[in-house]
Amino acid sequence: MKGFLQIHDPLKPKGSVVGIDLGTTNSLVAAVINGKPTCLVADEGGSKLLPSVVHYAANGSVLVGKHAFQVLPEFPTDTIKSVKRFMGKSLGDLETKKLGAYKFVAGKGVVRFDVAGGQPVTPIEVSGEILRQLKRRAESHFAGKVEQAVITVPAYFDDAQRQATKDAGRLAGLEVLRLLNEPTAAALAYGLDKGVQGLYAVYDLGGGTFDISILELVDGVFQVKSVGGDSALGGDDFDRAIVQKLLDARGITEPTNSQIALLLQQARAAKERLTDVEQTELVFEGVPFPITRADFNAWVQPLLAKTGASVRRALKDAGVTANEVKGVVLVGGSTRVPVVRDYVAELFGQPALADIDPDEVVALGAAIQADLLTNEDRRDEVLLLDVIPLSLGLETMGGVAEKLIPRNSSIPIAQAQIFTTFQDGQTGMDIHVVQGERELVADNRSLARFRLSGIPPMAAGMGRVQVTFRVDADGILSVSAKEETTGVEQLITVKPTHGLTDEEIEQMLLDSIDHAEDDMQRRLLAEQQVEAERLLLDGAKQLFENGDLLSREERAQLEQGFLRLERMKKTETNYETLKAAITEVDGLARPFVEKIMDRAIGKAAVGQRVEDF
Amino acid sequence: MTHFELFNLAPTVDLDVKALEDLHRKLSLESHPDRLPAGAEARERRLAAERSAALNEAVKVLRDPVRRAFYVLELKGVKLDTEQAAAKVKMPMDFLEEIMERREALEAAKAARKLELAQAMAKEIREANGQSLRLAQDALRKDDVATATVALGRVRYYSRFLEEVDAFEEELLS
Repeated sequence: MKGFLQIHDPLKPKGSVVGIDLGTTNSLVAAVINGKPTCLVADEGGSKLLPSVVHYAANGSVLVGKHAFQVLPEFPTDTIKSVKRFMGKSLGDLETKKLGAYKFVAGKGVVRFDVAGGQPVTPIEVSGEILRQLKRRAESHFAGKVEQAVITVPAYFDDAQRQATKDAGRLAGLEVLRLLNEPTAAALAYGLDKGVQGLYAVYDLGGGTFDISILELVDGVFQVKSVGGDSALGGDDFDRAIVQKLLDARGITEPTNSQIALLLQQARAAKERLTDVEQTELVFEGVPFPITRADFNAWVQPLLAKTGASVRRALKDAGVTANEVKGVVLVGGSTRVPVVRDYVAELFGQPALADIDPDEVVALGAAIQADLLTNEDRRDEVLLLDVIPLSLGLETMGGVAEKLIPRNSSIPIAQAQIFTTFQDGQTGMDIHVVQGERELVADNRSLARFRLSGIPPMAAGMGRVQVTFRVDADGILSVSAKEETTGVEQLITVKPTHGLTDEEIEQMLLDSIDHAEDDMQRRLLAEQQVEAERLLLDGAKQLFENGDLLSREERAQLEQGFLRLERMKKTETNYETLKAAITEVDGLARPFVEKIMDRAIGKAAVGQRVEDF
Repeated sequence: MTHFELFNLAPTVDLDVKALEDLHRKLSLESHPDRLPAGAEARERRLAAERSAALNEAVKVLRDPVRRAFYVLELKGVKLDTEQAAAKVKMPMDFLEEIMERREALEAAKAARKLELAQAMAKEIREANGQSLRLAQDALRKDDVATATVALGRVRYYSRFLEEVDAFEEELLS
């Protein structure tokens, strides 16, 4: 009945909508069900957390989640974890090289992992696999299609990283309704669940990133005032601080990779234990290394101070002071660490809110936004006004970055600026788009370069080019340039430098659809082959044990049936034909099975009588 | 349409920022593309996005007293928003000398990594900046464009100085 209603409900032409937290360590999918945001089961064993790990096997199959995580030690270069850190990056980006022992395909532009089982894969495809898995899980929950999603991104993600995330959604067959900043999602979960009004701060400390957002909820408008953070600061740094102290204490100056890996694992466990106990220890090379909570707190103080600097800057950008903030929302696993909570409480002069699970809060907020955007009944409930995290600008003379749209501008936004030609007879103008806060282009992120040509030759200063930046509600930039006297115009969506082109995405989509068909056929056939094998084994066993129940003709007929199935199991490629053959042989065997059952019951009855006496 | 016209306001340096932000919220609720029904046409969406973008840009300029003053001056025919435009304004020689000296002192403080010294200088500049802004606002109220132009010319230099101290502060803290 539910399915029938959905087909005829014009308001829900595309099935259920979901919110997805595509995390560095774990990913979650949530939906509003009966008016309540709820995280769905996303992985084996009923877990709502899907480890963001993807394994590419030599036979071409792909594992996602816990199963991929389990084979990680065995196949370290074919199993990609923390792929989020590679989104929108190129091999040339400094941070990329520090992120694990992967094999990369040399080349410019987007990063490509050399993995088993076929073509190298980009971070966009790897993220696409995670999203596809979440989509499948949600579809099995709803027993129906899921084709639209709100996907969250760190507030601090730049244009390339956002574009990459959106492309990953497309690859997974999802229409991305909105890219939503993670802290904004968290605030939305609190705001709408708890009915808050006023100024709020969201302190989001994950494994590898720190985000701070200042938001205000007034009269149905959720307005982000400012965002800030550090894209390379998180709980992993706490682990590193512990390891460094141990190495210092033992006088080890050149640890091996495996020593570091082992120590990091232990440090992480020790950190987690210190949430509940005052003292613990690491054991390294058989010698214990005791750590008190006080030691740990002191070691991470410099890291906390860094988050404090970001918080102060965000408050200043928002034009507010810490004591105007009515509540502080904690997000991210690292906010479970007691010293982090104490630090945040001190920073804002009040204990932080943590009554929604910090692991789930982002996905729940994304589900709410997905519902708000698609549910006609809720359209008027709340409007979200977000900001861009980093200034957008252009390269001008002398390699100086001129900002066109400053950070923390509300989106959508558009801004135009006129540039004049500086040489006589100049017919073209190079446009270099950059993102960041620094004075010099070289210190900022280069997003794209393009050339406006076709300017008619005239005296220097006479040619006037109007460059317009438009940022949409996803925080994604498009740039157009127009020569004023002739009207020559060029429009680009900023993506080539660190991402994939539209053509590449289309090709991947087509490939994945083809493969999806193949994969499904292969899987269904494999299932029937297993089924046939089971029937044949059972049959052989029963013929051996209970063959005396059959007449010679009956036995010969059955054996012929088994022989036919045996041959078909090896040669048949159509799973439906094989399935039909299995059903046929199964029917042939039924009288035999009944006789066996009778004998078994007879034996049991005999047994009972023996016992009775 | 000017930023003021978008909000149906008369151009003025004196705005109640709280009332402006309330108005911005109200108008955003009316025109944001997210408020359109699911079946809205692409053209309708684009128009909504454009109007939303215009509102966001306008409130950004009008909310801030300094940017608002520059904008009112611009409406009176003097643009100071780019380096090229500002270079055409003749600033008094003694002011230029003074600001040059101060910038040199700031560079020295930065080189020595003396944050407190830089902050003390910023405090003086902030006061001077406030005075110049009030002078400019006063002149704009009286339609005295020449006085407002020079006063806002000073604000430009002061603002640049203060931004540099901010950047220095951030650099030391991070």
